[in-house]
Amino acid sequence: MNHDHDHPHPHGPEPGHAPAPGEDAGSLALEAALRSSFVIVKVAMVAMVFLFFGSGFFTVGPQQQAVILRFGKPVGAGQQALLGAGLHWAFPYPIDERVIIPITEVQKVSSTVGWYYQTAEQQAAGEDVPAGQSLEPGRDGYVITADQNIIHVKATLYYHIDDPLRYVFDFTSASNTVQNALDNALLYSAARFNVDDILLLDQPGFKDAVRQRAADLTDRQRMGITIDNCEVDHTAPQRLKADFDRVEAAREKRNQLLEEAKSYENQVLSRAGASAVTITNLAVAERDNYVKSLKAEARRFTELLPQYQKYPNLFAQLKLAEAMSGILTNVQDKIYLPEREDGKPRELRLMLNREPPEQKPAANP
Amino acid sequence: MKRNVLTLIIGAVLLVIFALLLFVFQVRKSEVAVVTTFGRPVANLTDPGAYFKWPWPVQNVYKFDQRVQNFEDKFSQTYTKDNFTILTSVYVGWKINDASAFFRQIPGASLPAAQQLLENIVRNAKNERIGKHALSEFVNTDPQEVKFEAIEQEIEAAVKNQLSTNNYGIEIEFLGFKKLGLPDAVVQTVFQRMQAERQKYVSKYQFDGEAKAAEIKSSADLSAAETVNNAVAVATRIRAEGEAEAAQTLPVFQQNPELAVFLYQLDTLKLSLNQKTTLIFDERTPPFDLFRNLPANPSGK
Repeated sequence: MNHDHDHPHPHGPEPGHAPAPGEDAGSLALEAALRSSFVIVKVAMVAMVFLFFGSGFFTVGPQQQAVILRFGKPVGAGQQALLGAGLHWAFPYPIDERVIIPITEVQKVSSTVGWYYQTAEQQAAGEDVPAGQSLEPGRDGYVITADQNIIHVKATLYYHIDDPLRYVFDFTSASNTVQNALDNALLYSAARFNVDDILLLDQPGFKDAVRQRAADLTDRQRMGITIDNCEVDHTAPQRLKADFDRVEAAREKRNQLLEEAKSYENQVLSRAGASAVTITNLAVAERDNYVKSLKAEARRFTELLPQYQKYPNLFAQLKLAEAMSGILTNVQDKIYLPEREDGKPRELRLMLNREPPEQKPAANP
Repeated sequence: MKRNVLTLIIGAVLLVIFALLLFVFQVRKSEVAVVTTFGRPVANLTDPGAYFKWPWPVQNVYKFDQRVQNFEDKFSQTYTKDNFTILTSVYVGWKINDASAFFRQIPGASLPAAQQLLENIVRNAKNERIGKHALSEFVNTDPQEVKFEAIEQEIEAAVKNQLSTNNYGIEIEFLGFKKLGLPDAVVQTVFQRMQAERQKYVSKYQFDGEAKAAEIKSSADLSAAETVNNAVAVATRIRAEGEAEAAQTLPVFQQNPELAVFLYQLDTLKLSLNQKTTLIFDERTPPFDLFRNLPANPSGK
């Protein structure tokens, strides 16, 4: 497009002549447009490269660990492949794949394989199914105890992941596998415990057995987890609830009777002990008093003996008189009967009364 | 020139990426893969990483999950050795360990097909092994008699044996019971038995409580009486000691029994004629004989 044929050229083409002003402007504009669009493309490309590499950054939280798979293979051998909390970088897909694993978070699975059927709402509300119903086969779960009773048990297992590589890359659904182990632990433990042990007498033993079996199984299956806690719940079948309650009441009653008997025993024994002590103490006191008074008596006797030997009659009369004075001071009623003139004995009538009325003055004739 | 170089580089990069997409594939850590050339397996890849292949239609890659998968069989009836019917369900942890065998043997190389196969193998193994055990070997009050775990292991061994002889490219990592049950009719009789048992316990506790309480009470009474009797015996001995000790003072009184008796009588008199006593006397009782015989003056007689 060198010539514009619309207008005549009397002189013919002239080499070295500058292009027509119109052509010039067009190509310049085109060039400018191209250049600026190249700039835009360049900027966009640089931005894309930045975005591409920038998108490789990712953070790992404090309760997480991460593994980078480069072409499907973990970067780093064994446990070294695990990245801790912080900012990390990986090539974007499809070169690298990031797998983030929750690690210190406590995981939880529940086993309801041995529990009666509950709707989700009932479970949430903690409601019981009305008592007296029978089991619906295929819907209500149960376990068989060692003494071939049927009861319901359920368990919840809390655990955390120790070996994230094993837990994530070797199991399609590790938590389901743990749940299977827990289901098995319930059946296995129930098969060794009697119904009354599970429900009442040895609850901790049963719980430990479940936990132990679950731990054994997950160890054996190399799940890469540590069990933190295990909760077990149990109940008698709904239909037999009343019967189990009656046994419970009878057991309570028996314990109450035994308690009462024991407290009676304590009472009787401590009372007997006390009265035994009283009896012996009294005897000791009596013995001591007796011996002491006899000794005092003997001492008095030895003191009085020389006087008595000198004047026996006088001594006796003096002592008697002394005693009588003491007696007469103490005695409440004193009745003096003078001798009758004729020397005959007086006739006296007494009304015997142990407690003479107080208001009656002492009769002194 | 500069622009050309850049364009070339970009073009080359794009070409490389395109080539990589065509010629390279990844095996993820959780996977195994089989490479086929015109439909014939030629490579069995178990290690993760990037691998080379000829593009379709020359070579194809089939990837399989090699992680442990969970499988539960149907809750189904089996007869025990002693002709009880029990219902069992087991869980199995299985995985693909040989991708090319799996690819060859399993129809469509699909997981459902593999699980169907497992279902059959497990059912046969269960029927065979459980039929060799009595019900009392599943549950028993004597833990020594419970063969629960042994039965699981037998079933596991039988399943493993089946899988390896047929070379399905599948192995099982573990197997255990997930559910045990009894047929509905049996459940009803079990409930009746349990009810009777509960009734037995009720009367046992009633009787037991009363008998034990009575026993405790009577033995308490007995030992209380014994304690008191012992104390009485001890007291008697103590008093006897007193008597013995008192006897040592007898020689003192023996010097003059008359005085001893007199003093004793005197004391008795004092003790007996105490307060709240009415004393009746005449003038012959000393010292009231004073009323009768006043001493006479020596000059008066």
